[in-house]
Amino acid sequence: MSELFFQQIVNWITLGSIYALIAVGFSLLFGVLNIIHFSHGDVSLLAPFFGLAVISALGSVLGDAGTITTFLLALVVSIAVTGAVGVLLDLVVIQRFRKAPAMMALVATVALGIVLRELIRHLFPNGSNPHAFPRLVDGDIAIAGYSVPLFSLTVVAVSALSVCALFFMLNNTRLGLHIKAVSQDRDAARLMAIHPGRIFRATFFVASAIGAVGGLFFSSYAGMARFDFSIDVGLIGFSAAVVGGLGSMPGAIIGSLLIAGLDTLVQATVPNGASYRLVFVFLLVIGVLVFRPSGLLGRTLVEKV
Amino acid sequence: MGISPSAPVVLEGENLTMRFGGLVAMAEVAFTLKRGEILGIIGPNGAGKSTLLNIITGIYIPSSGEVRLEGQRLNGVPAHRIVARGIARTFQSSRLFADLSVLDNVVIGRHVHTKAGVFDAIFRRGRAKAELDAAAAHAEGLLKSVSRGLYDQRHRPAGELAQADRRRLEIARALATDPKVLLLDEPSSGMDDADTDALMDDIRAVCAQRPELALMIIEHDMRLVASLPDRVMVLDYGQKLADGPYEEIRKIPRVQEAYLGRKATQHAGA
Amino acid sequence: MAHASSSSTSGNPVSGMLTVIAVQAAGALYLRQFLLIDDWRFVLGLLVLFAAVLVFLERVPSVETRIEAAFARHSRLALLMGIALVLGFPFVLEGNTYALHLCVISMLYAVLALALNFQLGSANIPNFATGASYGIGAYASALLALNFGVSFWLALPAAAVVATVFGFLLGIPSMRTRDSYLALVTIAFGVVVHQLLNNLEFTGGPNGLVGIPVPELFGHAFSDPLVILGHTLPPQANFYYLSALLVFISIVFAERLHDSRVGLAWNALRADELAARCQGINVTWYKVLAFAVDAFLAGFAGTIYAFYVGFISPDNFTFLVSVTIMTMVIAGGMDNILGVIVGAFLLTMLPEKLRAFSDYRILFFGITVILFLMIRPQGLFPQRLRRYGD
Repeated sequence: MSELFFQQIVNWITLGSIYALIAVGFSLLFGVLNIIHFSHGDVSLLAPFFGLAVISALGSVLGDAGTITTFLLALVVSIAVTGAVGVLLDLVVIQRFRKAPAMMALVATVALGIVLRELIRHLFPNGSNPHAFPRLVDGDIAIAGYSVPLFSLTVVAVSALSVCALFFMLNNTRLGLHIKAVSQDRDAARLMAIHPGRIFRATFFVASAIGAVGGLFFSSYAGMARFDFSIDVGLIGFSAAVVGGLGSMPGAIIGSLLIAGLDTLVQATVPNGASYRLVFVFLLVIGVLVFRPSGLLGRTLVEKV
Repeated sequence: MGISPSAPVVLEGENLTMRFGGLVAMAEVAFTLKRGEILGIIGPNGAGKSTLLNIITGIYIPSSGEVRLEGQRLNGVPAHRIVARGIARTFQSSRLFADLSVLDNVVIGRHVHTKAGVFDAIFRRGRAKAELDAAAAHAEGLLKSVSRGLYDQRHRPAGELAQADRRRLEIARALATDPKVLLLDEPSSGMDDADTDALMDDIRAVCAQRPELALMIIEHDMRLVASLPDRVMVLDYGQKLADGPYEEIRKIPRVQEAYLGRKATQHAGA
Repeated sequence: MAHASSSSTSGNPVSGMLTVIAVQAAGALYLRQFLLIDDWRFVLGLLVLFAAVLVFLERVPSVETRIEAAFARHSRLALLMGIALVLGFPFVLEGNTYALHLCVISMLYAVLALALNFQLGSANIPNFATGASYGIGAYASALLALNFGVSFWLALPAAAVVATVFGFLLGIPSMRTRDSYLALVTIAFGVVVHQLLNNLEFTGGPNGLVGIPVPELFGHAFSDPLVILGHTLPPQANFYYLSALLVFISIVFAERLHDSRVGLAWNALRADELAARCQGINVTWYKVLAFAVDAFLAGFAGTIYAFYVGFISPDNFTFLVSVTIMTMVIAGGMDNILGVIVGAFLLTMLPEKLRAFSDYRILFFGITVILFLMIRPQGLFPQRLRRYGD
């Protein structure tokens, strides 16, 4: 295996893990709880900006922008705040559309994504321009004669941990049980003293926080934070969830790896591939939707009449 | 009422089986429906009544078995073509076009009997308009014949109608397709006794005007089942339990125990 | 919404005719003032006036009913007067080329909004790719003109056909998918088209296409001032009349389709797709059809845009253009032709008139969409029930 080829594989898995962090949120919200939330990607990509804001705020207060404590604090705060933003959006906008025709929720959340992007552009100092974003972990480690960036290892490990935690949460905790109850029958769940609103908010927090991790990793991977990253990354995250089958967590991961694989392959082999990558990715999405509308691992739904 | 024993069969099902994943919603059900006949279908919830309707109307494709309309196989024919062949239906939870007028709902029922496409609509306006005006006139006549009260409300949005009128409108909309077979899915659900009686009278009137029309009615209301259908078919756990006149059906112990007993006592008490 | 019942409110014919004339003249005057005013305080004042009129009409339905009845009864007069006002409008703009330019752009957006209305309004299909169809029309016609010397008048229908073919292609996934999935497909289509335009060589990459020739008609170049009855209008007037004609054709299309079996079928699948199937409507076909009709009109608008500005680049046809068009339809009133046109004019001109504010235009569109969907989903002008036989 050539060094270059190996690097591409590392690249692929790193990118796939990042996409998966965003895709599982889409799958959780759309597939499990049946909430239309097109702005999930935009919420996730807020995290790097919150992180930068915390770092600069701490820097001006304490005068130490570079220490590891500030850095970790910034990560934790940005993840929590992003989760809270998800909850807030549900409270203020998204929950109003629960009983409305799907089209309305769809258009409203697409618009919500635009509003979030524009707010960053206007409210964040110099928001239209890219901001340098630090690499969370530096350095390489040698594995079987190849050098692997520690950053990639961290991304893969954290993603795997987060997704496992999410699985565990869904299958083994009360919250997970309640989420499943609400997803199957809102009214019956209410009869069992489960408050659907609370479950929705908890799910929004979890999905947005995991998405935030993905957003932080993505900015760190790209070396910068941009207000318009979320157009591509959000669409790719949603596409990955759709390709895998909305509602299926393993599907979201497989979809992410598939799309990241195609992405890496195109960039490596097609001349000028970097500027065409989305064309290939979306052709894959359209193809999957035409031939397997419920995704690779999705269940086919039978409409109840 | 009653139909002549020699009336030809319009609709028949053979060995109908429907599986959803591992779940068998319907197993080997066979039925026939003669021209001008009214067939009642009863059975507890989950017995497969609605599944049967969905198979006949092409919404589900049966895992095995066959549905035939006047001898022609319907399996695999898309739902909208089945309507054109002469099967119309209503829904248990009336699915009207709520934001359109009552009249528009019935005019849409004329879809299969009108032809104008985009080209006609734009470049042959006169023809398209004449066709649609004729459909509207037909629809008005139909509304009038189904219920005068409904006709008077024809310019209101369908979503504003009272429950009983929604049912009537659904029946009128289905009749607008000029069906040979009309399938009614629990027409009395959500209505009180007085409304149900009025609805039964309307259904009788509809049938009297159309002696050829065959009707299949899924019902829970035993008063309706006892008086309206010529014949009753009982479904239970996706299988056919019995098929015959109401007087015979009601004597079957399993029917009484599983279904009629409870309902009958309720009605005796009421 | 109260219904116009012609028997009770027809009044005498003279007052009906006066109503028609007064309403149309007031509309034209309002538009003129809006276009010529520069001070943002006056612009806000005009907006408040507009809102007040709308609120008044909604509070006092009898007035609205009267106006509606008058227009229904004197439809020919309304049409003739409308044509006269549109033809005469450039003469009262005091030679203000910017105002004329805004009119042209507003009218192109009106066509795009009418195009999208077939899907979003009539059939409730979320299509985020109208901007892409607009771009396909623009590029197709520009390429035909630049590479093969095809004249504007031939490029116009050719580009519409090309856009329609792509519209059909985009519609194919709608056979098997809906709602969120379909929205994803349309967004993806828009992004794919944008990236292709941005990267392909023959589309000129990010720089786009320049030097698109000026259309000519009977030897009159559209870059020359238009002289009518000794009165000279700026060159933009050529495109003003051309776009007005396109708007007129689009309205005719929209009205005829809305009042036809096709419009009814779209409305039926909007209300309840399954019930529509069970009334014999081929839901798949009507969805694809809605995509095709949308792309057809958008292709026309794209061609006129390309020849009007003379150069096009991928950034003229982004996802945000699609969202802008969607905002116009939702704010104006889904499935209401007048509403959609008002929405297009308002949302094209407002950011231009409130300059300080124009950097926030996208934010403004986003918030407008959300607020309308939350507070007034029917838009400024709600849809109306159909009448037959009149």
